[in-house]
Amino acid sequence: MNNRLVINYTPGPTMLHRLTGFTKVFLFIAMTVAIIATYDIRILIPLFLINLAEMISMKPNYKPIVIMFAITFVTVTLLGNVMLFLVSPDVGFNNIGVTNMLWQGSGRLYLTKEFLWYCLVIFVKRTASFASVMAFALATTPSEFASGLNKVGLPYKVCTIVSLAYRTIPDIANDFINIRNSMMMRGVELSKKASLWKRLKNTVLILVPLIFTAFGKVGNIANAMDLRGYGKHRKRTWYAEHETSKWDTIIRILAVILLAAAVYYIIRYRIIDPWPARIWCPWADPNEIVSVNQIDTVFFMKWFKK
Amino acid sequence: MKEPIISFKDFGFKYKAQKNPTLYDINLDIYPGEKILILGASGSGKSTLCNCINGLIPFSYDGTITGSCTVNGAETKKSSIFKLSGSVGTVLQDSDAQFVGLSVGEDIAFALENEMMPRKDMIPVIDRNASMVGMQDFIGHVPFNLSGGQKQKVAIAGVFGNDVEILIFDEPLAALDPQMGMTAVDLIDNISRESGKTIIIVEHRLEDVLYRPVDRVILMAEGRIVADMKPDDLLRSTLLSECGIREPLYITAMKYAGCSLEGNRNLCDLSSLELSAENREKLRTFFTEERESIRENNNDPVVSFKDVSFSYEGGKKVLSDVSFDIKRGERIAIIGRNGAGKSTAAKLLCGIIRPDSGTIELDGRDISSLSVKEIGEKVGYVMQDPNQMIVKDIIKDEVGMALDIRGRSEEEKTEIVNNALRTCGLYKMRNWPVDSISYGQKKRVTVASMMALEPDVFILDEPTAGQDFRSYTDIMNFVNTLNREYGKTILFITHDMHLAIENTDRAIVFSDGKLIASDRVFSVLSDKTS
Repeated sequence: MNNRLVINYTPGPTMLHRLTGFTKVFLFIAMTVAIIATYDIRILIPLFLINLAEMISMKPNYKPIVIMFAITFVTVTLLGNVMLFLVSPDVGFNNIGVTNMLWQGSGRLYLTKEFLWYCLVIFVKRTASFASVMAFALATTPSEFASGLNKVGLPYKVCTIVSLAYRTIPDIANDFINIRNSMMMRGVELSKKASLWKRLKNTVLILVPLIFTAFGKVGNIANAMDLRGYGKHRKRTWYAEHETSKWDTIIRILAVILLAAAVYYIIRYRIIDPWPARIWCPWADPNEIVSVNQIDTVFFMKWFKK
Repeated sequence: MKEPIISFKDFGFKYKAQKNPTLYDINLDIYPGEKILILGASGSGKSTLCNCINGLIPFSYDGTITGSCTVNGAETKKSSIFKLSGSVGTVLQDSDAQFVGLSVGEDIAFALENEMMPRKDMIPVIDRNASMVGMQDFIGHVPFNLSGGQKQKVAIAGVFGNDVEILIFDEPLAALDPQMGMTAVDLIDNISRESGKTIIIVEHRLEDVLYRPVDRVILMAEGRIVADMKPDDLLRSTLLSECGIREPLYITAMKYAGCSLEGNRNLCDLSSLELSAENREKLRTFFTEERESIRENNNDPVVSFKDVSFSYEGGKKVLSDVSFDIKRGERIAIIGRNGAGKSTAAKLLCGIIRPDSGTIELDGRDISSLSVKEIGEKVGYVMQDPNQMIVKDIIKDEVGMALDIRGRSEEEKTEIVNNALRTCGLYKMRNWPVDSISYGQKKRVTVASMMALEPDVFILDEPTAGQDFRSYTDIMNFVNTLNREYGKTILFITHDMHLAIENTDRAIVFSDGKLIASDRVFSVLSDKTS
């Protein structure tokens, strides 16, 4: 189970696995804020490396991670960049403020050095956030996730929804397989012999009994929870939120520093003394940068400008 | 006289969505420390009665209450489900759905968490409760790898967390194989004796519950209490068959032998049953009598497994070198503990999974070259839960679905569907919506939809699980008709030994992936080595 999905249901053995749910959620939030805050590749790369190191330290099964990365990022980024190149080749200039032409085609078809730099930065930023989500998902069991979210301040009823969802995923997957098998025996073609469209239509056929089976269980789960006093008090404790160790303290301090640094970065470099363009670029001279109002670059603004 | 811990006075209840009340005129006192069995067929109101004690009625199910029900001296309708959960613990029937935690420890802790108990105080309580049900070595385990019996143990430990005085078990045996059932009954008995808690068991499987003594049996039928007596007296009466409850097999045997049930002590417990001298003689002659010889089946084999082995990806062997033949028209019980390989064998026969080595033949033809769809025209697999199979709204559409897929003409389809519906006794209902019929009828619909493809072999996966005696008899009569009159070969995958004894010619027994026996059910059961 642990290997097939990236979700872990039982805590793993490494240092990161053994942290409490709160520490993991807090670290993840700090990491996310830091990655969102900046377009500066000098900061994004170290953040990416930290998360990559976290991931490696947990000795995961790389296969699903690589597949997910390949599908969601490489394809999306490649396709996205080609589209971007066709639609708005000046995105580099808009964000960086200088232009170095590499290749001039006809009309709006041209490639600048800044366009490539822009694509690189966005790719690094996305990859860093992917790595941080993966590191978090690998380290955290669903119950720790739920208890951690509650400790961070979310109402516990919301957190229970999270853990119940994870609880039912494998059951629903099992039901799905059973129903699919019985459908196949009745002649519903789900193998590669049928066309993609037909397979899709037949898969919808499975959803009917699947949904009814799942709904049938909801009442039972609700009763079981009521009967054990769920919702009695305004708070609850969590068995999954275990005692903290010295590593929890260390990681929490590091996360606070990271969060503080991110906030400082935003205030210092985006508000008080902002870099004239949105994205830092090694060859752009701050004095030559033409500052572009980001709002003006949105395509429909030109109709309002007249 | 002690004060009753639960007391019903002229109690009645009507669900909001229903026309007639589910419970009428309930007058019942239960005293602290008693062990009570509430017996009744499906729809007799036994579960509703329990939900009135634990507070699901009226706090989760809307309805009208008449009369009074007090638990621990407090009127339930003026209390709350939370207050009641502090004194009443309920183990629900569906051991999977009530497992809300993501590990054994977490599930046992669930009630404590809701009480806001700090984690360090929880741990000793969890350890104690887990070891009480024998699950102390499984605290970190996830629910997906536990058996039904283990999940139920966890559920028991979970309701213990509240330190309740009353424990209700709602159909605790429904999903368990016979051995797990015995363990569960034993466990409940131990709790009753050691903790002195009041125990209420709701069941329709009388014989299995009576494996350990109970103080009183409350028999319910059609929303009323029809009997409140000691188990011995109940067994002597004729009430059981009138209320659609299966009497223990040994009682049936004694009746067949012509024994009078009066004057035998400890009738409810087979091991300490004292037979009168006259009865002993009668039973002896009964057992030594000539038995009618079993009709020999000399048909060709319709299914044959030849040295079949199978293992899931990277796992250990689930089946190793299994060989057997099933002849046309036979009724076979495939039995074995959970994980022994019986459902794997069924999946192999259906072609859903393919053997690593060995061959499977249908009608003398190797199935390795056939697709699942093609095999489906020869083998009809009926899943345990009919709700997992039904996809259309109207009965005749459901039955005709497989024919639609195969592109048969409209007239041909109508004829086949009508025939299948007639065989299954559903012809009159052919235009009814599927949600308006009972569980047993849905089962027929699923069989009918297999019938449409006219397979020779039917595989029925736990066809009677969770069904009361009436529904059980209904389903089995129907299946036997299919076998007798239409010559269909029937394979049952089952835990139910009653079913195997009464309705099959032969049993195929799996243990740890090996075929350990293939013989008449009686011979298999009396073979102690298995």
